[in-house]
Amino acid sequence: MRTPQERAARLLRWYPEAWRNRYGDEFAEFLIADIEERPQSAERALDVARAGLLARLAVAGLAEPHVAWQPDPSRRVQVSLGTLCGALTACLALATAMWSQLAIAWEWTPPGFAAPPTMRATVVMSAAVLAFLVLVVLAVAPVGYAIVRNCHVRMLGPLLVLAAAVGLLAFGGHHFLYQWPGSGGHGEGGTLVPVIPAGMQAFAWSLTYWFSVHWFWLTTGCGGWEIAWIVASPLALVAATAAAATLVRRADLPPWLLAYETRLAAVACAVMGVFLGGCGYWVYVGRPPGLAHAGQIDVAAATLLALALAAAYQAQRTALHGLHLVHS
Amino acid sequence: MPKRDAARPDADAGLAGFGRYAGPATLILSSLADGPKHGYALTKDVEEFAGVRLAPGTLYEALARLESQGMIEALEAEDRRRPYRLTAAGATALHAHLDAQRRATETGLRRLKANWGTV
Repeated sequence: MRTPQERAARLLRWYPEAWRNRYGDEFAEFLIADIEERPQSAERALDVARAGLLARLAVAGLAEPHVAWQPDPSRRVQVSLGTLCGALTACLALATAMWSQLAIAWEWTPPGFAAPPTMRATVVMSAAVLAFLVLVVLAVAPVGYAIVRNCHVRMLGPLLVLAAAVGLLAFGGHHFLYQWPGSGGHGEGGTLVPVIPAGMQAFAWSLTYWFSVHWFWLTTGCGGWEIAWIVASPLALVAATAAAATLVRRADLPPWLLAYETRLAAVACAVMGVFLGGCGYWVYVGRPPGLAHAGQIDVAAATLLALALAAAYQAQRTALHGLHLVHS
Repeated sequence: MPKRDAARPDADAGLAGFGRYAGPATLILSSLADGPKHGYALTKDVEEFAGVRLAPGTLYEALARLESQGMIEALEAEDRRRPYRLTAAGATALHAHLDAQRRATETGLRRLKANWGTV
């Protein structure tokens, strides 16, 4: 049987370190007294777990930008923007993976054979991906400039990781680009290629090789380099995302840039919502067999995309709330 | 009102922005209106006058919100127990909130008496 002190210490672990630094001692004392009075209480355990998890969400920049135990509002906005960066990158990776599959099917579907719903969904998803890429450029350019101008020692580590990961993705993406299964197709792609060049489609497919491998493996097999790329590319993507999020959190960003990025993120969330709408429509109507049919992996990817978008939206709202606190 | 409270914009917003924490916040402020108390003494007092037991996680969520909005302030810890004290902004917000509740209560009771003959 554990002592009340041990049980209080275990319950305290639900909370993040920043919260424990502020309230840990007094909360432990409170819990010990409560446990001595009511030795068994499921309600207490559930309440502490719920509140602890909410505090952890706050540390991740996903909730409660105004509580006393968190750092100053500007820093909290940057924490939310860092999380936003990670969530939107996850959205972009999943969106690119699904869209590049559909683009290949589009390339090989004979003219006039594509189902109208699939065509509409492809157009919506393509437009959303393009618009999102424009927003990425608009978001990254000023932050990159601010980071380069005010670079300090704590940013060197994430900068090196980001450079290495992006370098690996660029090299590998270019190396495997020539295996793109869309080459040689002369179908409906004739209507897509003028808008999105074949090279860009191939690069998007190559970067998301880990997603298409489930069927590509069956048709052509995979050599050692392909397997290495399938393993290395998602790891590089995760490393690049984590490094970018860390840079955003550590950089000295002026208030106007925080406001700009937060508002741009709202547009990015809306654009990704449009993509998700098109994607959901395609998954819903694209079940019959055919080149552009949606499989279980697309359903899973669309679900993950929806979750990542929900996290991005919540981080954007938290950042916006934090901005109001900064300005007030 | 102390200058520190006046500098906080949320301090003037009362308990309206507390959402689901408005109930616990009202109970906590009402308890602290009687003098500073630490967490456990607060729950015992609330249990006594309102018949409600505030769960530990909920209590500290509400305390953190009240503290960040300048409605309460933490005092020096005594034996790892930290007492909290009501501020002038907290007293104003509590007064406004209870006043609104009293008007709603009086209206409800008056209408019940007029139409249902109870009370």
